[in-house]
Amino acid sequence: MTNGSGPGPAPSTHWVDAVGAAVFALVAGFALLLLVAPSLIVIAVSFEPRAYISFPPSGFSLKWYWAVFENRQLTDSVQVSLMVALWVSLLCMALGVPAAFASIRGTFPAKAGLNAFLLAPQMMPGMVIGIATLFFGAYIAFRASNTMLVLALSVFCLPFVIRITMARLADLDPRLDEASANLGAGKLETFVRVTLPQLGPALLAAGAFTFIEAFDNVTVALFTSDVRGRPLPVELYYLVQNDSTPAIAAVSAIEIGLSCLVMLVLGRTVGLERLGGPATKT
Amino acid sequence: MHPVVRRVLHGGGFWPALPAVAFLVVFLVLPMLTLLAFGFVTIERGRIVGDTFTLQHLHSALGDQLIWRLAWRSFYVAVISTVLALVLAYPVAYLFSQTSGIWRTLILIAVISPLLTSALVRTYAWLVILGGRRGLLNQTLLQLGLIDQPLRLLNTDWAVIIGMTQIHLPFMILPLLAVLSGRDRRLEEAARNLGAGRVRTFFTVVVPMSVPAIFAGLALVFAVSYTNFIVPQLLGGGSYSTLAVQVYEQTVVVLDWTRGAVLATILLTSCFVFVYLIVAGGSRLSRWSEIRT
Repeated sequence: MTNGSGPGPAPSTHWVDAVGAAVFALVAGFALLLLVAPSLIVIAVSFEPRAYISFPPSGFSLKWYWAVFENRQLTDSVQVSLMVALWVSLLCMALGVPAAFASIRGTFPAKAGLNAFLLAPQMMPGMVIGIATLFFGAYIAFRASNTMLVLALSVFCLPFVIRITMARLADLDPRLDEASANLGAGKLETFVRVTLPQLGPALLAAGAFTFIEAFDNVTVALFTSDVRGRPLPVELYYLVQNDSTPAIAAVSAIEIGLSCLVMLVLGRTVGLERLGGPATKT
Repeated sequence: MHPVVRRVLHGGGFWPALPAVAFLVVFLVLPMLTLLAFGFVTIERGRIVGDTFTLQHLHSALGDQLIWRLAWRSFYVAVISTVLALVLAYPVAYLFSQTSGIWRTLILIAVISPLLTSALVRTYAWLVILGGRRGLLNQTLLQLGLIDQPLRLLNTDWAVIIGMTQIHLPFMILPLLAVLSGRDRRLEEAARNLGAGRVRTFFTVVVPMSVPAIFAGLALVFAVSYTNFIVPQLLGGGSYSTLAVQVYEQTVVVLDWTRGAVLATILLTSCFVFVYLIVAGGSRLSRWSEIRT
């Protein structure tokens, strides 16, 4: 299909090439539009003054934002989600960073097996982790609660932290540590003054990604969260199913705004390009 | 210094990974075994009744026509959405590798920002766009005079496919982006110098180089699409169901945990089989293209 002129040198400005390049640019433009347009539309819709969503909005009003802040159920759920996200990030960092050290710097038999096991949760859909934790909890007579949610989400998010830390650790030059040791620094000093500063941005990225995922997650949370004191995504899920008030758009717009802020900070400290790779996980 | 602290800092040992391994054994392996087991026993109110192993539940699920229909829908919706995602993702990743400066940053923001926004919010956005009479798309089409009756967009296969494709697009773009921007461009120059056109160079040099990344993206996007139950529920509407939706409904709404466990096991097993086939196909193809070039 690409070779209309048979073997041998083809003119470099063949019409196929021109058409190909145009189609490619068009599809890329469309895909980029597709990626950002829905978020922009949600933000626009959140300023709707009437009681139902329409686009473009019929006016400009912040009343749905006030409605969100006055809705006790929503503000409570934000608090629940913040706590859950905080605990999940702490737990994942505490478990994941040492594990990444072992799987990069360690020398012991079956290291490949360890790596496969540590990253296994990323093969599991959130729903399956959620249901499995729910059933296991029931079996040992432990009810669905936000503690259970924290544990299930930590399983779900652990590969994030491990992958981001591993990627950075593998990039570090071990000779820097050797140099530090040769200059008389102890192991602890080397770790704190040489290894950790190089690891810092990666740890920040890992923590931020875990926090956001734990805050946003609905696939695990629907099965394991507390019936009273639901986290925000579960609250929103039921809201979206039954209702289409612009208040949902306002919550969404706030979430979009906050994630842009996080991206700005991470882009400055870690570099956006480095963020993409290890973050590929649902 | 305490020898334990020294070992941790020095690395070398297995044991810094021990807490994580123990955690995963208790909170992943044991729950997964429970999930598996619940499909093969009889449960009442979360307790196992008379612990006799039975294949009856699996048997009745596999004999159910409805389950097969839903599994088939899960499959074709995921396949179409995955292929669409590849078609849309490749040009973006390629464009990224060819540009520099501000464009690169803008593309990265467009690709990464959806990842930081919850899937629920993005699904809601599609409700706004596709939803009912006042939906954005219908309004636009009506105003442009392209249609004179609002189209039924929501609650169709296509609504689910479009939503999923958009939501999972970054997962397809990111692996491609990494491979394409790190590629060796001398091969393309050589091809061009030998007289190949741009399109021909693209298909015979660039694409074969990215085969592993293509299949990594395909496997990932297929898996997340096949097991997604949020998008089919919200964009497919109340009477629309897939295998994943069915797992959710049996577990949370109907509270038939045995059925939920059996269906979850079927969902997960079939997902692994499909992903394995995609990965195996990918490594075959990349070997083949290596031999050919």
